[in-house]
Amino acid sequence: MDSKKFLDCERKRFNKFIKFRLPHTFFNIGIAIAALAIVAMFIRAFLIESDAEWLKSITKQVLLLGMLVMSISKDKEEDEMTIALRAQSYAIAFVVGVLYAIVLPYVEFGVSNMVHAGGESFKTLGDFQVLIFMLMIQLMIYHNLKRYR
Amino acid sequence: MENTIKVERAILSLTQDDLAKRIGVSRQTINSIEANRYVPSTVLALKLSEVFSKPVNHFFKLSETD
Repeated sequence: MDSKKFLDCERKRFNKFIKFRLPHTFFNIGIAIAALAIVAMFIRAFLIESDAEWLKSITKQVLLLGMLVMSISKDKEEDEMTIALRAQSYAIAFVVGVLYAIVLPYVEFGVSNMVHAGGESFKTLGDFQVLIFMLMIQLMIYHNLKRYR
Repeated sequence: MENTIKVERAILSLTQDDLAKRIGVSRQTINSIEANRYVPSTVLALKLSEVFSKPVNHFFKLSETD
């Protein structure tokens, strides 16, 4: 195989990868997975007496998975405009997510120390908090962009 | 970019939904194009040209801000 054919093959494979979307039915599956994770979080918090750290981390991961499935599912009527709107929503979510990760720790630290002296120490955000925020923003912005298109 | 898709559609007595089905997009996309909120791709413009049997620059025109 010469280098041109190899590059074409690579380009095709890469394009196929970046255009990958799940069918629309997966959107509802994503909602079900996320809802299940939220219910499990409530059960762990209010009904299970032991600390069950393993359950906490599993429910967080399941919630992220459910929202990711929702995020990469196709629209009911997918066309070039919805693809453009989705790309826009990912870009906005990324920028807002980075700003959130930078600003929020200072806000939390400031507010906590203003309310009572010797409040919480400065701590950065965890990966779950940033990822869930970005996914939420993406889904919300995409929904709004579609509504106002 | 300005367009006269609404006029071309009226000439053929097509609804937004009819036109959307013919070129394989959603009705909302046609609505956004007509309202100049969305500039379609070349592929979509050529599909519209095929439906209207007219060249693309007949119903798409550059505005002063473009």
